[in-house]
Amino acid sequence: MAWTSQQSARLRLEMEILERYFPSFYLKDSIIPGRACVEGIIRSNSGAEYVVRLHVPADLPNSVPDLEIVSPFLHDRFGHSLVELGTSYPMHLLKPEGGLVRICHYSASHWNPNITFAKVLLKIRAWVEGYEGHIETGFPIDHFLPHMQA
Amino acid sequence: MEPIVYVLDEQVRDLLTHLTSAGTLEEGVAFGFDDWTVFHAYTEKPFTTPSGIVCPCFAVRADTAGMVDETRLTSSVRARTDLSERPAVVLVVDTHSDGTPQCRALIVSHSKMAAADTRFVPRRSELYSRNAGLLETSALAAKKVVVVGLGSGGSPVALDLARAGVGQFTLIDFDRLELGNISRHVCGINDLGRYKTLAVRDQILQKNPYASVTTMEVNINQALAPVEEAVAKCDLLIVASDNDQSRFNLNQMSLNHNRTALYGRAITRAAGGDVLRVRPWTGPCYNCVFSSGLIDGREEEMSQKRQALAVLPAYVEEDKANAMIQVGLSSDIAPIANMMVKIALLELSRGQETGISTLDEDLKADFYIWANRREEAYAAWPLMNYKWTRPSILRWYGARVERDPQCLVCGGHLKADTPLQGIVQ
Repeated sequence: MAWTSQQSARLRLEMEILERYFPSFYLKDSIIPGRACVEGIIRSNSGAEYVVRLHVPADLPNSVPDLEIVSPFLHDRFGHSLVELGTSYPMHLLKPEGGLVRICHYSASHWNPNITFAKVLLKIRAWVEGYEGHIETGFPIDHFLPHMQA
Repeated sequence: MEPIVYVLDEQVRDLLTHLTSAGTLEEGVAFGFDDWTVFHAYTEKPFTTPSGIVCPCFAVRADTAGMVDETRLTSSVRARTDLSERPAVVLVVDTHSDGTPQCRALIVSHSKMAAADTRFVPRRSELYSRNAGLLETSALAAKKVVVVGLGSGGSPVALDLARAGVGQFTLIDFDRLELGNISRHVCGINDLGRYKTLAVRDQILQKNPYASVTTMEVNINQALAPVEEAVAKCDLLIVASDNDQSRFNLNQMSLNHNRTALYGRAITRAAGGDVLRVRPWTGPCYNCVFSSGLIDGREEEMSQKRQALAVLPAYVEEDKANAMIQVGLSSDIAPIANMMVKIALLELSRGQETGISTLDEDLKADFYIWANRREEAYAAWPLMNYKWTRPSILRWYGARVERDPQCLVCGGHLKADTPLQGIVQ
């Protein structure tokens, strides 16, 4: 199965937007639906770099894309691996996959096809600042980033 | 009262083609009701799940004079089966001089034999005689409808369309009927554990034995290609699924193939609901309405844990998922299903002069809102009382919703035929 023509057009639109706002991101690995991903670097205000991978859903743009931090390997302020934390409400974390931290950015009930990859990455940009705030202060990430209403 | 025996017209016709010699007993099956006063007799496997108490059934062809030796026939039947607990139905088939099939039934018990009032069912011409004048039933028989979601909303819609004479259905759902579904579903206890698609198919065939019903027991979000193939072939898409992802996917399919789609849903505790008609590329699509803010604060009814867990992040406790399950009554769902049926019949009859054509002039809006009670999103609505000029419960309201030029699904932002080459690394 291949991308439909609408999905191909949507992917191109997504990449055009990313080129403007997150220029390091590129479509990677495969153009096969369900395997493709978009990967790039998000830089925090402190200058730290995070490699972020967004999995393009096979039914693009109709479901929430999974998003993970590829590197660096993240720990909390107290030295625990974020992967070992597992799902965490205060840290906005979903169940890790393949040893990588997955960020909860949109719940399915808040998702709609008007949300672009750039908007998701903008939330990850905010999460990164929240994460560094946690490292600095010990407050959980949701101290800096409130949750969306379910 | 003389017992009544119902036989299927086409089964008697089939019997006459292969039962060539008189006196040979052909086995079938019958189901008896109400102290053996009513029987449904089949000479082939019933096409729906039958009810009643099973009893033996035999068919025999009359001789050339249209006669049968009843004493000998009775002895043959008694020799073949034990009639101490239940009687047997014997169908004596023949053709009239004009070639039409004839059938008379006998009820044979261990001690006596009696004639029964024999009735053919169904005759296609009579099946929808009560709809004549309102609907063009012969045209509806050729219409194809895809129904996605066969729960408390989709199942009555499918059944009502069958009642109106719609002849071709594709039913899509991967859920099975559970005890908690029964009070709001068209199917009952005897369908527990079955796929909803198959149980509803049987209900449809009970109403329209000539209907062609195909079923797909799939999660549409994981079986996009076959579902899209079904949508491409339909005249109307009915969406009564329970999650936005499926609605977004179906919205895309209806746009891809220019198929009108109807979306219906109930809000929490079925305090109300809404119905959306999407006329691709001429009116708003599902995403236009979803992102317009019109349904903000009107959260969808959660009727099962699976549904709640699908929209909640993984870290949400089970208690919260359970608390989200707040269902309404069947009578709260009924108005929403009823509205979907009315719009569906309008769409399926479009282009023909029917008795419901004037409804088309009234139903100009594409999005309709209904309130069952003054709670949830409707808590601030005024009392119904005797006023009819203000919003009130138990009335439909059409809302004017335009296509959103910014919609990323139908707004024209996407350049067609844009190959991915050049953007893939």
